[in-house]
Amino acid sequence: MTTTDGNSKGADNTAVEITELGVDFGSVTALADVSLSIDDGEFFTLVGPSGCGKTTLLRSIAGLETPSRGSVSLGGQDVTDEPPEERNVGIVFQDYSLFPHLSVAENVAYGLQFHDLSESRDTEARVTELLELVDLAGFSDREPGQLSGGQKQRVALARALAPEPDVLLLDEPLSALDAQLRKELRVQIKTIQRDLGITTVYVTHDQAEALAISDRIAVMRNGRLQQVDTPETVYRQPASRAVAEFIGDNNVFEGNVADDGRHLDVGGTLVPLPEGGNRAAGQSRTVSIRPEALSVTDGQRADAPTLSARVETVEFLGDAYRVHCRWNDRSIVVKTAATTPPEGAVDLQFDAEDVHILEPQRSGSTRSNSVRQGGPSANQ
Amino acid sequence: MKRRTFLTHGAGSVAGLSALAGCIGETEDSGQTLTVAAYSSFTGEDTAGNWLKSAFESENPETTVEFQTTETGVNEFIQRRSEDAPIDADLFVGLNTGELVQADEQLDDSLFAATDDEVDGSGAVKPDLDFDPDGRVVPYDTGYISLVYDEGEVAEPATFDSLLDPEYEDGLIAQNAQQSDPGRAFLLWTINEKGPDGYLDYWSELADNGVQILSDWGTAYEAYQDEEAPMVVSYSTDQVYYNGEGVDTSRHQVGFLNDQGYANPEGMAQFVDADNPELAREFMSFMLTEEAQAEIATRNVQFPAVEGVDPGGEFSEFALEPPEAVTYSYDELVGNVSGWIDEWARQIVSN
Amino acid sequence: MRPKASRLLPVGVAAMLATLVAVFYYPVGSVLSSAIYAGGRLTVDPLVAVLGDPFYTGAAHSLVTDPASVPGGVVGWIDAGMPRVEFGLFGFTAYQALLSTVVSVAVGLPGAYLLARFEFPGRAFLRSVTILPFVMPSILVAVGFLAMFGYTGVVNDLLGLVGLGPLELVGTLKVIILAHAFYNAPLVTRLVTAAWESVDTRRVETARTLGASPLQAFRDVTLPQLVPAVLTSAVLTFIFTFMSFPIVLALGGLELATVEVWLFSRVQNLALAEAATLGAIETALSLGLIYVYLRFEATQISAHGEGRTRARTPLFVGWRSLVDPRRVGLLAYSLVAGVLFVGPLASLVIESLTTPDGAFTLDYYAFLIAQQASAAVGTVQPLAAITNSLLFGVGALLLALPMGVLVSVVATRESRGSRLAEALLTAPLAVSGIVLGLGMLRTLVFGTTAFGHRLTITGPVVIVAVHAVAAYPFVTRNVTPALSGIDDRLVDAARSLGASRSTALVDIELPLIVPALVAGAAFAFAISIGEFDSTVLLAEGVDSATMPVALERYTANRSLGPNLGPATAMGTVLLAVTIVSFVFIDRAGRRWER
Repeated sequence: MTTTDGNSKGADNTAVEITELGVDFGSVTALADVSLSIDDGEFFTLVGPSGCGKTTLLRSIAGLETPSRGSVSLGGQDVTDEPPEERNVGIVFQDYSLFPHLSVAENVAYGLQFHDLSESRDTEARVTELLELVDLAGFSDREPGQLSGGQKQRVALARALAPEPDVLLLDEPLSALDAQLRKELRVQIKTIQRDLGITTVYVTHDQAEALAISDRIAVMRNGRLQQVDTPETVYRQPASRAVAEFIGDNNVFEGNVADDGRHLDVGGTLVPLPEGGNRAAGQSRTVSIRPEALSVTDGQRADAPTLSARVETVEFLGDAYRVHCRWNDRSIVVKTAATTPPEGAVDLQFDAEDVHILEPQRSGSTRSNSVRQGGPSANQ
Repeated sequence: MKRRTFLTHGAGSVAGLSALAGCIGETEDSGQTLTVAAYSSFTGEDTAGNWLKSAFESENPETTVEFQTTETGVNEFIQRRSEDAPIDADLFVGLNTGELVQADEQLDDSLFAATDDEVDGSGAVKPDLDFDPDGRVVPYDTGYISLVYDEGEVAEPATFDSLLDPEYEDGLIAQNAQQSDPGRAFLLWTINEKGPDGYLDYWSELADNGVQILSDWGTAYEAYQDEEAPMVVSYSTDQVYYNGEGVDTSRHQVGFLNDQGYANPEGMAQFVDADNPELAREFMSFMLTEEAQAEIATRNVQFPAVEGVDPGGEFSEFALEPPEAVTYSYDELVGNVSGWIDEWARQIVSN
Repeated sequence: MRPKASRLLPVGVAAMLATLVAVFYYPVGSVLSSAIYAGGRLTVDPLVAVLGDPFYTGAAHSLVTDPASVPGGVVGWIDAGMPRVEFGLFGFTAYQALLSTVVSVAVGLPGAYLLARFEFPGRAFLRSVTILPFVMPSILVAVGFLAMFGYTGVVNDLLGLVGLGPLELVGTLKVIILAHAFYNAPLVTRLVTAAWESVDTRRVETARTLGASPLQAFRDVTLPQLVPAVLTSAVLTFIFTFMSFPIVLALGGLELATVEVWLFSRVQNLALAEAATLGAIETALSLGLIYVYLRFEATQISAHGEGRTRARTPLFVGWRSLVDPRRVGLLAYSLVAGVLFVGPLASLVIESLTTPDGAFTLDYYAFLIAQQASAAVGTVQPLAAITNSLLFGVGALLLALPMGVLVSVVATRESRGSRLAEALLTAPLAVSGIVLGLGMLRTLVFGTTAFGHRLTITGPVVIVAVHAVAAYPFVTRNVTPALSGIDDRLVDAARSLGASRSTALVDIELPLIVPALVAGAAFAFAISIGEFDSTVLLAEGVDSATMPVALERYTANRSLGPNLGPATAMGTVLLAVTIVSFVFIDRAGRRWER
């Protein structure tokens, strides 16, 4: 059911198809000609910093935003010009957006009046079923004002699911909740999604949440897609410096490929590069190394590449330490499972395979905007 | 006139708002309903209007008399006529010379029909009251504008000029000549006395001496009764109202400035498009009968218009006539009266 | 910004524009057009005639008649030591409006200080009562002032007890200005109190911790938030008092006529072209003022902070209250304000129950009933006036509510078309009631010939339409903030669940703004009950007289009694009806705040 292949375009099981979708707000481009397809039953997450266009994309799928260009198809039907009520999607917002004048049960039942239920169930039964699904059986007669944040969000989820939407859209559903509740609820959402097999598009600015919950992730920035892939691939093989820096902690360095073609000259220190890839001597390259790929040593592994650094600040994380070091003039972060915090001068060692070469920014769609707006290559 | 009937008798007047909206393009033959337009104080309890209605109806059992009152008097009908709007009334009661002149000036065609010869009894009307050269308006009563003063407070004001004396400072209450009959008559009287070139100066001096101009006769007379000032512009019949035991007649002295009173005959006329012209003329004739003349005089506190009628009783005893009656004729007012009043009002506002 | 917004809205807007064209733009246009259209062509002659007439514009008339002489004239004036200059009727009208504004602000500001900064029993009640004058029929206020300040009014009765007076106050500018303050000072209090309460205590606290004294903190933090509210309320007061009609008519008379009173007199005297020109100039002026007002109002909204209101100081602190100059001042103010605001209404009730000699009587009420019982035509029947008022009120409410909500819906949408639509739909605020009444009279009441038939609409229907036109902007003012306060996402959620845009409006938005709808409805009702300017022209004869019209007629008709008695009795009835609808507003308002 879950597709991990980012390039899968099977017409039969495509739930959402976005084609060159653009949204302009006046002179501001919120979404720059994005194309994307989401498979049936997939848990798909749009992640990125605020203002990256992820919510605009979600709202465009729901029909709550008017696209300036391009099209949206749901289940093979072009719905670009359809109003939200004709799309059969369910949406959950960050601030719950429960109807304050209706009870919990009335909220959940609201959408049912507009839909013919697939099975012959009456409204009451359907509401009960959904409230049980979100562990809120017995809350039917409560007013939204009497619920906690987590309960409200579960009602909102039940309400969105009640009319059996083809696609469930979640817009930062957990952002208003505290950390512990957030983790619990995201497990619950994931479980429900998997049990129902419902295609889900999830918007978050929290990359950890995105990694934890998704079948596939689309990293967005400035109204464009940066990378669309499984969480693992996005984490381990970020497509760009932006993705590398946004997803998880990371150390990113720039340098020129040394004459041997196997090292990168980062401010005079040679950092070994993994096997393979395009690396003509003298070329500028950007690499990343995850903090957990670095280990704090006294130089025990003579064969391993070593960076001599100095500890500046140490954070205790419970199961590990996050160590902020200074290496030459650069900041470098290391995550170590040592039982005592390192201090003073340290050697940071790693394997060459853990160094990830970031592909130079393609001059395709992701750069076209800056080119058009007079970037460095505008005159060429 | 079903619409009006419904409006008047329908409980609360607006029983069904939507039911009232609609066209009244056609005239219905209402048969026996005579609609009489009059100023509002002409009707009401114990008024001449009410007596006329019951007396006329009992003499003509098939007929119903309905009064229609307008706040702006004949102006309402002038405006309707100039906009080609329907006029529901058959005749207008309570027209004076100035108003007739203004109606004729405003409209290309006359608002009223010439009926003089067709109204029985009109020949008996005192000839000097007849103010319409075209024979449309038949006078039914007349009054004399004078001052009413409190002799306990001030000496009798003898002349117009004496009103400017310090003795009469803040002493006089007059009415707005734009909307009040006695107010207008008093203004015309001052013009008659001071001339069209002199009256504004005179009024400016009156203002300097503290004349108070109130909206109409009622408010003015009320202020006089509250003793706000010792003199008020009113009618020479004042004591018909205020006499006998318990009345302090010293507060109801009638003062004829320059031994004059300004005569203000009131007339009636049939609308040119009246639905019931014959009935209207019958009613006009009825108003000229001796009995009606006496009743009108008593109830309206004005002098009869018909020669030889003696209202008798208190009226004859207490109604005073000025030694000399002055007034402007129709021809003298044509082309002048509106301008005179406007200039006067502008001066009062600017003061 | 919503795709495929339901067609209902455009249809509704079109229907409402059509209604407005029929009962507002066409009638008003037919009047105002005679200011610029004569003898079949466009002309500026009527405007020049008015503006160039010293009667209207005083010294400024030469700006129109002889512009070249103006610089010389100004120089001559300065040489002459700048003597007092008259600016004619417009100058006087602006002068009295300015004085009224100054007095209203002076009376209103301490009230705002008291309500915003002090806690005392009845504060919440007092705060909600500040809305009352706003919905009070102005003719009622005028009769109240007559009852209080009239020659035989309560003030002179009291002066008489101590051997003073009587004073002649009616017919002086002072009483007009006091009556305007009665009307508008509470408005100032209300707007400034709201601004004061919205000052975030944390900002004041921050300023204090940074070293500002209480006075400096007030100057630097609080005052900048109050100024827009003061300006807004001042401009609003100026607009209201510039256009004020029944108060000046009843308390001032011809000698203190303002533009509006003179306009009315021009209409009564059939000088319709001149009236139209005056109406056009007045409309232009008030549009300009309303623009200024909206600008101020916009700055005020943006100045509103989120956050906590500062805690109020107790007003009464035992004996110390009497030595604290601030508190003594406020108590003295309360006394004066009490006399100003309670006095006229109390006088109205007292005068309706006492004979001129001061004895208790129910005669005036008996008179009202007798008036009702008498079959005489031509007098305003009290019961008919009451039923008329109530029926017109309900009719106006039923019409004004959807109209007002529609404008709110348009106003809360951000798009270019909606701004234009909002402006067109709000324009009735700028037009004098007399101009509207005159226009209605000339077009709909007198009728228009179309398709060979004379179409006329009878008085009651026209009056309801006019009242609705006067009332719906107040519905909008109540509903718009409530509507824009609703989270857009509630509507988004409803629509994604399958509701159309209009279904979402009915299911979600309207239920959530019920209190605002009720308040708007109560406003509409109160405005209709109190409307005088248009009604007095449209209540042809006495068939469609409403309570305010009856009140005006009773003040000036001797056949109805020897003094103000019947008018004050009628006024007391009107007061009772107004207060009942006010209680409605208040109840709804409280539920809303909860």
